[in-house]
Amino acid sequence: MLTNPLTKNITKDNIAADITRYLANDGYQGWRKAHSMAPDDIITLVKEGGLRGRGGAGFNTGLKWSFVPRGEGSPKQKFIVCNADEMEPGTFKDRLLMERDPHLLLEGMAIAAYAIGASVGYIFIRGEYHLAAERLELAIEEARSRGFIGNNIFNGEYSLEIFVHRSAGNYICGEETALLNALEGRRAIPRAKPPFPQVSGLWGKPTVVNNVETFCNIPHLVALGIDWYRGLGVGQDAGSKIFGVSGKVKNPGAWELPMGTSIREIIEQHAGGMRDGLRLKGFLPGGGSTDFLGPDHLDLPMDYDVIGKAGSRMGTGTITVMDDKTCPVGLVLNLTQFFARESCGWCTPCRDGLPWVVKVLQRIENGEGLPEDLELLQEQCERIGPGKTFCALAPGAAEPIQSALKLFERDFLDHIKKGCCPYK
Amino acid sequence: MPTITIDGEKYQVDGDQNLLSSCLTLGLNVPYFCWHPEMGSVGACRQCAMIEYKDSEDQSGRLIMSCMTPVRDGGIYSVNAETAKEFRGSIIEDLMTNHPHDCPVCEEGGECHLQDMTEMSGHTMRRYRGTKRTHRNQYLGPFINHEMNRCITCYRCTRFYNDYAGGNDLQALGRNHQVYFGRQQEGRLQNGFSGNLVEVCPTGVFTDKTFSAHFVRKWDLQTAPSICEHCAVGCNTAPGARESGNGHDPMLRRITNLYHHDINGYFLCDRGRFGYEYVNSPTRIDQVLSARNEELIGSTADTKDQLHRQVNPRDGVLHLSVQITAAQRKLRRIIGIGSPRASLENNYALRQLVGLDNFFSGLNRLDQHLLQLVNNIHSDNRITSPNTPEIETADAILIIGEDIYNTAPRIALAVRQAARNRQKKQAQDLKIPLWQDTSVRQLEGDPSPIIFIGTEFTELTDIATTTLFESPERVTLFTQALTQEISKSSKQSTEISPEFQKEVNHTAEILLKATNPLIISGISSRHLDTLNAVANLARVLSNHRKVPTKLYLNCGEVNSLGMIQLFNEKEGSLEQLMESLSVSDKEIPTSLIVLENDLYRRLDTPSVEKLLSLVDEVILIDTLLTPTAKRANWIFPASTTAESQGTYVNNNGLAQRFYAVYEGKGYIQESWRWLVDAVDFCTEKSENYSVLRSWKHSTDLSDALAREIYTLKVLAEIGPNEDFRIDGLKVARQSARYSGRTAIHAQQHVSETPPIKDPDAPMNFSMEGIHNPNKTQLQANIWSPGWNSNQSIFKFQQQVGGERKGGPSGKYIEFSQHSTQDSNVSEETSVKPTETSNNLQMLPIYRLFGSEELSNQSMSFSEVIEAPFILMHPDEISQYDTQEGELVDIETNCGNYRAEIKGSNTIPHGCIGVPFGLPGLESLAPQIPGYASLRPAVTPAISEEQ
Ligand SMILES: Cc1cc2nc3c(=O)[nH]c(=O)nc-3n(C[C@H](O)[C@H](O)[C@H](O)COP(=O)(O)O)c2cc1C
Ligand code: SF4
Ligand code: SF4
Ligand code: SF4
Ligand code: FES
Repeated sequence: MLTNPLTKNITKDNIAADITRYLANDGYQGWRKAHSMAPDDIITLVKEGGLRGRGGAGFNTGLKWSFVPRGEGSPKQKFIVCNADEMEPGTFKDRLLMERDPHLLLEGMAIAAYAIGASVGYIFIRGEYHLAAERLELAIEEARSRGFIGNNIFNGEYSLEIFVHRSAGNYICGEETALLNALEGRRAIPRAKPPFPQVSGLWGKPTVVNNVETFCNIPHLVALGIDWYRGLGVGQDAGSKIFGVSGKVKNPGAWELPMGTSIREIIEQHAGGMRDGLRLKGFLPGGGSTDFLGPDHLDLPMDYDVIGKAGSRMGTGTITVMDDKTCPVGLVLNLTQFFARESCGWCTPCRDGLPWVVKVLQRIENGEGLPEDLELLQEQCERIGPGKTFCALAPGAAEPIQSALKLFERDFLDHIKKGCCPYK
Repeated sequence: MPTITIDGEKYQVDGDQNLLSSCLTLGLNVPYFCWHPEMGSVGACRQCAMIEYKDSEDQSGRLIMSCMTPVRDGGIYSVNAETAKEFRGSIIEDLMTNHPHDCPVCEEGGECHLQDMTEMSGHTMRRYRGTKRTHRNQYLGPFINHEMNRCITCYRCTRFYNDYAGGNDLQALGRNHQVYFGRQQEGRLQNGFSGNLVEVCPTGVFTDKTFSAHFVRKWDLQTAPSICEHCAVGCNTAPGARESGNGHDPMLRRITNLYHHDINGYFLCDRGRFGYEYVNSPTRIDQVLSARNEELIGSTADTKDQLHRQVNPRDGVLHLSVQITAAQRKLRRIIGIGSPRASLENNYALRQLVGLDNFFSGLNRLDQHLLQLVNNIHSDNRITSPNTPEIETADAILIIGEDIYNTAPRIALAVRQAARNRQKKQAQDLKIPLWQDTSVRQLEGDPSPIIFIGTEFTELTDIATTTLFESPERVTLFTQALTQEISKSSKQSTEISPEFQKEVNHTAEILLKATNPLIISGISSRHLDTLNAVANLARVLSNHRKVPTKLYLNCGEVNSLGMIQLFNEKEGSLEQLMESLSVSDKEIPTSLIVLENDLYRRLDTPSVEKLLSLVDEVILIDTLLTPTAKRANWIFPASTTAESQGTYVNNNGLAQRFYAVYEGKGYIQESWRWLVDAVDFCTEKSENYSVLRSWKHSTDLSDALAREIYTLKVLAEIGPNEDFRIDGLKVARQSARYSGRTAIHAQQHVSETPPIKDPDAPMNFSMEGIHNPNKTQLQANIWSPGWNSNQSIFKFQQQVGGERKGGPSGKYIEFSQHSTQDSNVSEETSVKPTETSNNLQMLPIYRLFGSEELSNQSMSFSEVIEAPFILMHPDEISQYDTQEGELVDIETNCGNYRAEIKGSNTIPHGCIGVPFGLPGLESLAPQIPGYASLRPAVTPAISEEQ
């Protein structure tokens, strides 16, 4: 039984699986099968397969597709968009997939496009991902020359064009509606919802935006079926996932593992555990915009709802480990500097609140903090909490801060009391 | 109507509004920044937070942005809940981390929405210890200041400028807390509605630069409701005036918008906002002047211009009365020339003095016929004149020969909103409320059909679905063919090419398919046949659709449609005057009284010279030293709109009253008062004199007009008369906080001078009286406790975005309703240009800055008015041995002119575009449509005519 559908074509060498190798390894079988299915049946299959979006929010992918208006009277032009912005701190899974197995993404996008009736797809890729963009463009040419995309695919009526769009760079471009604005050449600012992109997205047309990894799950889900797919997961969620670990571990990297793999297994077995002399003090389970968890949480399985209950989010599933020799204030400062800089500037609490948080954290880190600063930080985190800002960037930025204040309160107090950073 | 509960009180609200505007309509104070009553909600500032409770059990509720929340029947909300208050305070606290703390030196201070909202939020303590973000300011042209450090990043400016007004040179640049609102390069803001930034911006970033030059705080301005005099749309304004710094005469200091639901809503154009400075210009007349020709003896100047000297006003009035008496004794003839830029009252007084036989409109024959035709069209009950909200909701618009952005600018802004009607329709289908601005704007929505045919379509081509640039003859042809197509009449025009016919059919199809079509045209193309064809089209469309056709006709000047009411049967043109003068008895000397009119803008120069040679003296009552003033023997200083009371009739036929904002300097007074003063001096007895002598108040004239002229009978009802009182009191023009009242004249005399009495309006030139005449139309000081900025306008509306509480200002005049035959109304009289050896047909083109007489004299306009130029199709320019950007000499039957030649693809071959009224080329305008010839300029410069 195939257990590594996402990485089966990925070798140790830094080369992309070209079309020959891809086809030799059952490539484009999912697409061929999907093409013979009714679009609605594909949507049902993906829905029932239990695939949840890998971009961070974990929304059921088939369900998302089903919101696209279909049939009589619905707009003819629709779009499929791949979110390959991947600017979440600590996240590098999409890059791996795009650089090493670009056809898998294209095949997933083709199936998705066919299912929702889109004839044009865009891959919105992070500007720094030069190599991935080049390899994708090459793969598009290859796929087109073999008739997997382009006009009259499989000699049928259906045609599809896919374009790679390099982002000009801004974390907010990863938020799907800001991404659509950026793609249209407007300022990258999130849009008001409703209407959701599925109803009115790119240039006002129905549009589905999915993460790279989400698309990569689809070819095998279609080819090998729901039972196989559900069986891949060892916990509550279906399928496999690319988990990654960064931080001071022996073997940082990314691995395809079943959904529901325990955090301990990921960190201790696959990442080789902490470097010698260091202890794990805490970790961000799914990227820079998730709450810190502590050593108590190591045995939790990586399932969306489980991590949610523990007070954090599985996010992108790429873990950032913090050791006991790294200053948590410094780490949170660094993250907040990123979020403050990347704020799109639309809403007040995020735009003007985060720079203030940065100043306060900087002060504490410099040993100039005041006891009331902790209260202020707490207050600021509430101000940028869910529902108070226009999009999810600011609540995301609040997560590491608010959890650090709880988990590492001692460190904050020490900074203030000693008047310096105890880690320096 | 949904019922909702707010802080325990039950209210009925309009389900189409969001929670924020519902609260404001109810009179509750909810602070906000990014929401705008006309531009809707975007959820950016987060200032309008309230609490929504799931049900009556729910204790904690959920924080929501009220501007982004539709009202739900049975919904329970709170403004005052502690969490909501705290959050709103925190937003101000966040904003103030970057905002300077120097209100005393900020020009927004005292009418600053940020100040108001800060107060309202209750945030008082500063905890932020960091440095503030700073920006560099830009030069944005002569109208608008830029102080970016004051920005709170509410995005209102770019939303107005780009999304609402169609501008493209003001952007939000950069990201995070460094977002910069400015141009990519310094330079004048190009959009003609840029002045609204001053009112739209809730802080001191964008302020009025012309106001800066003579700045005072809002509370130190006295104000009254007024009408913009710079075009015929009739926008309502609130001019502000105050004594100048040296303690002498009061001066006009700025214009702000005064909300009128049916006309200007929240916005004015830049001509209207910044054109006011002519009132303070160095060419302003404020004394009685008399020409003394003998002083010219010895002068070598071969000019007929008079040298004037200041005289005692009494002498002037005496002279006028002597002439009037002589006329009474049949020893002298007095001719009166009125004006479309003078109020009905002033025109009427002159007509009354000289009698209808001796009264002329001051327009040339073509303009007079055009206006009469417009008047006729309005009397047809198959045609109605749409107001701004009606234009904004049209689902197909055909614009014929009217470059509205330059001739009736506020209407262009309305048309721009109509372009979004398909998008709005889509939003409604998706159940997205129309106030959800970003949501609606991101919908696909192709533009609604907007078809233009004519010479130039400035600033609107981006929303036009079809633009046809054609000569007036072809425009007429198109309109006629369209009429035939719609009436399905069999007679096919043979002159039409298949491609042209295709456009005709396409347009017909759009007009017939639309549920709410609209036609816009007017007199600006100066073409009777076109206007006739437009009228027929509107009639035929009405026959076909069985409802009156909405037809907006631009009449050019502020009171064109009013003035024409004074000439029912009579033509009254200047040509007719000349004809009558040439056959009149030469034995009897003639005095010509010219009322607020510059004849050189009405007739070509030789004709004016001829006209003046036929009279023995010229008496002018006007505001500025015009070319006509230079030829006058006597000049009386007239008051401008802001200094007087009167009535103008706008393009819709809406008669609106304007009130004196301040008393004017020198001997300025209403033109009619000079005439009445002169009659008062007369010893002769006559019935006519006693009528004139009986006029004490401006409303005496309006009432007389209402009695005498059938179409103007509404004049008796358009505003409170002088004797109107509220609780026994008049209305104060000055705010309760007006400072220095007793000290203003202290350097002249220590005794406190009593305020000047206003004989015309129930208003005081002082701070005494009613400050909130909310239930009347006299409210011009838009201020409410806690709401010092113009945002407080909602306090004076029946509901947010609705009618004013005092009702709409003005009343529609009653065009005598009749159904005229479908024939051309004045075909026989249509003036055909005489072709001469000059081979280029002149077409009028218009400029927002440069085509209107009064605003051209505003100081700030000198920077934006183009130097003399003409337009020609680029393909043709080389045939004249010249190239774009070169100077050319233009020769017409009446003179020579020099201008730069510019290329424009919209000008048909064989034609040149001549900017109407542009300084330096004013006297070309009345020669349109005539012919000109062209050659490269030869140096030395030919002696320019005039
Ligand atoms: C600030 C912000 C940044 C985001 N960045 C990314 C990103 O880089 N890649 C991504 O796939 N999703 C990102 N998302 C999530 C997307 O908005 C969206 O949920 C996702 O692309 C949906 O795809 P999925 O359903 O396949 O997960 C981001 C969201 C936010 C609020
Ligand atoms: S929270 Fe507000 S300012 Fe921050 S990125 Fe989202 S929309 Fe922009
Ligand atoms: S913009 Fe308003 S709050 Fe800011 S300095 Fe000016 S007056 Fe004060
Ligand atoms: S300049 Fe004024 S209107 Fe524009 S964002 Fe700043 S505060 Fe708002
Ligand atoms: S007014 Fe509601 S968010 Fe700005």
